[in-house]
Formats: sequence, structure tokens, C-alpha cells
Amino acid sequence: MDTKHYMQDRAAEEFFSRLAEGMFQTTRCSKCGKTHYPPRVVCPHCLNEDLEWVDLPRHGVLMAFTQQEAALRCRKPDVLGMVELDGIGNIFTRIDAPFEELRIGQKVAFDTWTSPDGIALHQFRPID
Amino acid sequence: MAGVYIAGVAMTDIGWQDLDAHELGARMCVESLRDAGLLPSQVEGLLSTPHGYMAETRKMITQRMADYLGLECGLMLDIDSGGNSSSVALHLACDRIRLGEIRSCLVFAAQKEVPKKQVQQDVVGYFHLIKAANSLYDSYQAAFGVISPLPFYAMAIQRYMYDYGIEPEDIARVAVLLRDHSLKHPQAAYDKPLTLDEVMSSPLVSPPIHRLESSEMHDGAAALVLVSQELVQDWDRAVRVAAIAEAHDATSFLPYQGEIDRFPCVERAARTALGRSGYGIADIDVAEVYGAFAGLELMMYEELGFFGRGEAPAAVREGRTTHGGEVLLNPSGGRLSLGHPAYATPLLEFNEVVRQLRGEAGERQRPGASVGLVHTEQGFINGSIVTVLDRQDERAAGAR
Repeated sequence: MDTKHYMQDRAAEEFFSRLAEGMFQTTRCSKCGKTHYPPRVVCPHCLNEDLEWVDLPRHGVLMAFTQQEAALRCRKPDVLGMVELDGIGNIFTRIDAPFEELRIGQKVAFDTWTSPDGIALHQFRPID
Repeated sequence: MAGVYIAGVAMTDIGWQDLDAHELGARMCVESLRDAGLLPSQVEGLLSTPHGYMAETRKMITQRMADYLGLECGLMLDIDSGGNSSSVALHLACDRIRLGEIRSCLVFAAQKEVPKKQVQQDVVGYFHLIKAANSLYDSYQAAFGVISPLPFYAMAIQRYMYDYGIEPEDIARVAVLLRDHSLKHPQAAYDKPLTLDEVMSSPLVSPPIHRLESSEMHDGAAALVLVSQELVQDWDRAVRVAAIAEAHDATSFLPYQGEIDRFPCVERAARTALGRSGYGIADIDVAEVYGAFAGLELMMYEELGFFGRGEAPAAVREGRTTHGGEVLLNPSGGRLSLGHPAYATPLLEFNEVVRQLRGEAGERQRPGASVGLVHTEQGFINGSIVTVLDRQDERAAGAR
């Protein structure tokens, strides 16, 4: 499916194309050193445009999770969740486990996932 | 500072409407002017909102209405700020009236949504609207196929239940209570009582949210007339806008930083509005709260300051938020049971609180209600507006 309709900037295009190659990265300001999530095309802290791509943590904690009935993709039985990444904040992601087996506070690890309609996305899988 | 008064209100029945959104809006403008005792020639401002989220909304909505009703204005604007739109309109109108630029303003909203069934039966015909719904969210949310904020609210509610040990029945009970409230409202979308079992056994649309804990979208229209002191025709029915405060967080839908079950803008707007009004939260007799889901409703009661964190479920269980309780919350039935034509929703909330403060709420009346509060929000409660209303007559103050 065409994903152009939700690509809000060059940073989003870059994020998802890096993800398709297995990289899980965001932007960091080369001037003030602050890391952004989601990635930006300009640093919102110091307004500098010279940004570099850096790795995001690949382990996190499951903060909340649910399923969606009506959606363009990742419909039930897929699980969606918020994962807290140290020093970054919460990211919205697919969770690779049956809903019934999940619990808040679980440790989870990053993986890539390609949707049936061919979109490269990220997911996290419980590791404890 | 010069006072601003709500002199007239009007609302349609809530449900699916046959009339075009323009006619719905026009009828509400006329009805609210009659209620205020004013003629179109006395209207100096006109504000409105889009016709819906899925609706293929028209542009220049206020311009068409100005022509239709013959309104020559000093302020005119179509405002789109999601669920807050008609509250933003009210806030802007109050400011312009206080500045003395205009003496009156008509605010209306007519929501006429594409019925869900129609979209479901003709997915191809409406796919452009589904895609538009998806691109409401940022790239990092939209990529996962999201077309409604339902999964976000579900996670907020799940986390809230986890943090405070709240049981599913505590959430379901809110839906039952709001239905009890709406049974007393002749214009509400629902007229059959709900039981706790029915709510608990309804399907989980996005766990932990049951279908009957989630507000459905409806059609509906409403209007109100704001005036300066000199245009108040009937002081027995005029309701004063004591204070308004608006607060927006630096988030769009999901908060990437901060807690997923906290909505700081609500607390900020409430604290500021109450501070400006000179009232405390305990002075509020009646309030309309924008909670599109039963669990959210509880969280809003707490963020507004009616109860401490995690304490709203017990307050609802003990009858403290209903008739005879310490504060009457969502006597209209709220979003869940009055019905939720989103762009018109803030004006429905004002309709209810104005009627309560006038003593015209019929079976739903809280005896002696004199101070009221309206809370509205947009997005995933990324922004909130809180308005405090009372019956104060400032003519005496002005004469001093």
C-alpha cells in the first residue's frame, strides 16, 4: 500500500527506510547533543539543522498494550503497545506475543516486522 | 473587565439526522436567537466548526450562514481544533466582546457524519476517508494502521487501572450511571436503561474498553448566543461566563514523553479557570465533562480536581457524582449516553449547564445550582478548555 499519505517529513521517510534495513535509529542534535523521538529535521531544543542518526535502545519495558478492531493494518489479533526506552520515552509499536500472555512491566526486545501489505515496521517481543 | 453572558442556547435531538448540516445549523442559530430575545440584525459575530471528521465537510460554513440569516458581522471564522473547536469559538467570542469590538456573537456547530454502517458496507467508496482518518495521526502512529484514537485510550485506561488497582466493574458502572442520567433527557440518543451485566458482556472493542463504555458518533447540532451586558434581554435567564482557561500540551495524540494515563492540560486549564473565576472546585454544583470513554471519564473527574488520583471510581460507586451527591457530573448523560456529535459536543455541554443554572433542566435539575463548569478537549486530550459559569449579575458592580 502507498504509505506517502502519512509520511510527514524527510525524517519519517528516513526512519522507515532505515528500519527496512534492520536499523532502529533516531536523530540527535550535533550541536546541543539532545536525542529526539520521533526523529526530526530540525532540533526543537536549539533549532539547529545539523542532525545525526543514532541507534535507539533495543530493550525496553512494556507500559501498556491493546488491540484494534478497525484499522488499516495490525488489526486484532495483532497487539499494539507502548514500550518505554531508557532515555528516550515511550514508543508506539507492535507487540509480538498473544494478548493473553502479556503483562505490564514485562521486559521486551526489538525486532523488525513486515506487514502483510509490505510495510517495514518495528515490534517488541517479551524476553522474561 | 466587562462581563460576557450566554443569553440563548439551542440543541437538536441527538442521533442520525435527515436534514442537511446547513439547515440543522440554521435552525439552531434561529432557535438560540429566539431564546436570547435577539434578532439577526443584532448579531455582530459568527463562529462555527466543520461538519464532522469523516464527513466531506464544506468550507466557508459561516459565510454561507451569514448570507442565509442576513448577519453583518465584525467577526467571522470557521474553527477546526478537533473536539475543542466550538469551545475555542466561545473563548474567542468572549475575548472580542470583552475588548468591546463586538457586542454579540452566535456560535454554532452542526455535525452530520457519514454513518459507520455506510462506510463499512462500501469500504471502497469511502476508502479516501479511511485514509484521511489514518493520516490524522503522525507517521509513527499511522504506520500501524490506526484510524481512531481508540487503541490509545485503551492503553491509557489499562495503565490507569493497573496503577490504581481499579476493577473492570468500576469502569462499567460509569456507563450505567450516565445512561441513568440520559433517561431524564428527552433529546438524548439513548432511551433504554443499561445494566452492569450488559456493559460487562458487551464485546471488547479495544481491550479493556467494552463497546458500551465507548461513545458512538452521532449527528446533532447546537448553538449559543454570547452577549455583552447591554444586550442581555432577560436577567433571570442570563448565565455569566465567569472565566475560561485554555491549556495545550506539546503532544499530538500519544505522549512520547510523560505518563500515558495523565493529561496535564486538563489540570492546568481547570486550575487556571477556577483561579480566574474566584471559585474553588468545591463551589461547583454541576459540570459537563468531555469523556468519550467510561474510563476516561473517571480520569477527567480526577484531573479536573473533583477527586484525588484513583478516587473517582469510589466516588461514582458511592453516588457522589449523581443527583443528591456532592457534585452533579454529566447530568445530560455525557458523551456516552447523551450522544457524541463531536464538533457540536462542547455546545451540548454548555446547553446543559446553562439550563441547570437557569433552573430549566426539568427532571435533571440540581436544585439551587448556581455555579457550573464545562470541560472540553481535543485529540487524545492533548488540549483542554475549562469554562466556569455562574448567575452573577454585573450591572450592580458596573454601577459602583
